Amino acid sequence: MIKTSTQNELIQYVYDELPEEACTQLEAALMQDMELAEGCSELLMIQQLLDEAAAAPRKCAVDNILNYSKSLSLQS
Amino acid sequence: MNTTTQLSDSALVSLYIAGNESAFEQLVNRHKNKVYTTILVIVKDSYTAEDLMQDAFVKAIHTMKSGRYNEEGKFSSWICRIAHNLAIDHFRKEKRSPMITLEDGNSVFNNMSFSEDSAESLQVKEDTHARLRELIQALPQTQREVLMMRHYAEMSFQEIADATGVSINTALGRMRYALINLRKKMLKNNIAYDKNLYSE
Repeated sequence: MIKTSTQNELIQYVYDELPEEACTQLEAALMQDMELAEGCSELLMIQQLLDEAAAAPRKCAVDNILNYSKSLSLQS
Repeated sequence: MNTTTQLSDSALVSLYIAGNESAFEQLVNRHKNKVYTTILVIVKDSYTAEDLMQDAFVKAIHTMKSGRYNEEGKFSSWICRIAHNLAIDHFRKEKRSPMITLEDGNSVFNNMSFSEDSAESLQVKEDTHARLRELIQALPQTQREVLMMRHYAEMSFQEIADATGVSINTALGRMRYALINLRKKMLKNNIAYDKNLYSE
């Protein structure tokens, strides 16, 4: 059973927010604890999926924004 | 070569305020997918999401051009927060479940590596991502909020804790449950969760 504090550190670790010292300790623990390593691997995979699930708007919507900004610049 | 390509968001904002439109183009292209996704997860309709994304950037334009932009926070957090608020306002006004609009082909994703995939593989990825966005939408509000703030608006857990009035441990716990819940739902819904599918 992974402790809640360690699970929270795992979340900070995959999002690059864990302080360096704690990071070194966690990485050492990951080498020893298979359950922890699997948990980390799962988090990284979900994180990657979330990255890839970002959708993109159509170009025309982006062009509208840029054109609006340019039109304001021309007015001023 | 565009000299603004590698500049920080903060530097691009300063250039834009000084009148450099190409700096603004860089900012928009850098953040449009996150802003759009932040809205799409809430409103679920791609056309409405595009309209609200435009509204969010128009608000940002007026704030920056009028000198009211606060440089203390990150641009990505700020613009995603504007987008999130607009999406929530829209959702409340609608007072109904929005229709899910089917998204068309490759325009949904910008990932260039997809161009080398087969049509079938592309379709599998596209379906996976669409269903994942639906699962995010179905998360409890507090978990979805933290996930969107951290993953798409790039706020730190401390910033999220401050913004939502909870401790950092609570924010971390909510994120942990959000990711655990997503994983459970993905397994339950047989959503592709295959290392080979997502490897380079």
